[in-house]
Amino acid sequence: MIPLRRAWPVAVLVILAIAPFLTANPFYQRVAALVVLAAISASAWNVIGGYAGQISFGHSIYFGIGAYASLLLFGRFGLPPIAGAPLGIVASFVVSLIIGPPTFRLRGHYFSMGTFAIAALAEILVVNWKFAGGAIGLMGPAMPRSLADLLFRNSLPYYAIFLAVLALLLALTHLMQRSRMGFYLRAIGAGERAAESLGVPVQRYKLYALLISGAFTALAGSLYAVMIGFVDPESGFGILISVNMVVIAALGGVGTLFGPLAGAIILVPLQETTNALLGGSGTGAAYVAYGLIIMLIARFSPGGLAELWPLINRNGRRRAA
Amino acid sequence: MLLEAEGIVKAFGSFRAVDQASLVVAENELIGLIGPNGAGKSTFFNCLAGDTRPTSGTIRFRGQEITRLSPDRHARLGLARTFQVPIVFAGMTVRENVMVGALLRHPHRRRAAAEADELLHFTGLAERAEMPVTALGTSGRKRVEIARALATEPRLLLLDEALAGLTSSEVEAAIELVERIHARGVTLIVVEHIMEVIHRLTERVLVFHQGRVIAEGTPAEVTADPTVIAAYLGRRRRRAR
Ligand SMILES: Nc1ncnc2c1ncn2[C@@H]1O[C@H](COP(=O)(O)OP(=O)(O)OP(=O)(O)O)[C@@H](O)[C@H]1O
Ligand SMILES: [Mg+2]
Repeated sequence: MIPLRRAWPVAVLVILAIAPFLTANPFYQRVAALVVLAAISASAWNVIGGYAGQISFGHSIYFGIGAYASLLLFGRFGLPPIAGAPLGIVASFVVSLIIGPPTFRLRGHYFSMGTFAIAALAEILVVNWKFAGGAIGLMGPAMPRSLADLLFRNSLPYYAIFLAVLALLLALTHLMQRSRMGFYLRAIGAGERAAESLGVPVQRYKLYALLISGAFTALAGSLYAVMIGFVDPESGFGILISVNMVVIAALGGVGTLFGPLAGAIILVPLQETTNALLGGSGTGAAYVAYGLIIMLIARFSPGGLAELWPLINRNGRRRAA
Repeated sequence: MLLEAEGIVKAFGSFRAVDQASLVVAENELIGLIGPNGAGKSTFFNCLAGDTRPTSGTIRFRGQEITRLSPDRHARLGLARTFQVPIVFAGMTVRENVMVGALLRHPHRRRAAAEADELLHFTGLAERAEMPVTALGTSGRKRVEIARALATEPRLLLLDEALAGLTSSEVEAAIELVERIHARGVTLIVVEHIMEVIHRLTERVLVFHQGRVIAEGTPAEVTADPTVIAAYLGRRRRRAR
């Protein structure tokens, strides 16, 4: 028997998972798909930013790579956008291997600033990269040529695909959390010097975490491009993309299995509703809202919602006496 | 010889925190390291543990040169340490903290948990295994660090003021713990301020002063040494002003 305490968060998740299929409202369906997409990227960020405590503000670089890989393969070679996903993942590995080792030497805020700077640079490079559409960006297929284009009239198929990817990512994270790697990452996040003294090869484990984190973030970018059918430097490599992941994870609880998902369930519907009400994607308002959320979390609950809600804390593991 | 450190210098700019310090440790010894505040004891430990690279000098451990190896390689070779100011893994329970150490030799979680439990028992932390480590006070945290270091199955353990900041009854328990660690066959180097503790625990003591080893011998010998007395008194006089 599964203890009730562990069963009921699962029940909530199952209900949330099937809810979008019970509505015919396209807005709700679209929001549901975007919630899961945001949960994927925030959960991916959580591997390096949450568990390993390396607060990256540069993950937009991975998201952008995934999105651009998809629409470049379509735009330049006529391949279905989803074919860009594996390419994006491979490219994310290359990027991790290049930016990981030097930035990992930076500690605390300096790491955040270093990753932020690299991502900002990437955005500028893409703006000036004519082959990739420059400042205008890239389009996906307007009409489905085959099923492989994954072009659907409503959002439910996307929702289902995203949910499968999220489930895979959370299952992997769960396994990692229980393995030596999970312990080592948390130890690195909590006290790098002590971790090293206990035989943890810190730089190597940070790199493992970044490779996994970057790959799933790139996949999220590809999925985004497949669904939206358009990407430009701002929606792929923009600063707000990185900030989004950080805020969503921080809101739900960094370094917890379900924290980023919880953060996405709360934040994304809010964003989409305000966008719908205010029209456009009112980025100015989004920045203000993020600032407020960050301040509230820092002031009242540095552990995010997970701290307030012990049941989702670290996957319902036994609470300390 | 288990450990041979020769002519260790650690300079911060033009200031030499450790200046030509040498130390040879045989298997199963229990060596004391004393000296006034700022004498360079912790910096010397950091050099031995690979936490900081000495400016010059060489360190050999079990016949292998380790001077420039990273701290995790030191741990793997069997050289463990605790920190003067404990660095515990916040967000983890006491058991999980110790498991991080145990995972070095036992990659599987279950096995590491069993090893950790044995050490929690050994260090008197068994009842607090499930507590968040941050709920512990100084004495508890110092024990966690010791248990964690022991979990890496070291041949040599460096304890940096493991007894500082403890109440007198805690000090008694800690002395007894150090003795039991020694009885397990672990070689120890302990930095300690309380002379009584040094007298009770160790047979050989090194005295640091301004980065240099100014005396070496039995506790009785060094406390009677005029240079040592001058070093401590000089310190006290400076402070009194
Ligand atoms: N990273 C550093 N940069 C500059 N100076 C340092 C650094 N670390 C230590 N020092 C200096 O080196 C000297 C020796 O410090 P150390 O901590 O080794 O002394 P200690 O013998 O352990 O003293 P205590 O008994 O107070 O712990 C001190 O003067 C200290 O200020
Ligand atoms: Mg010291």
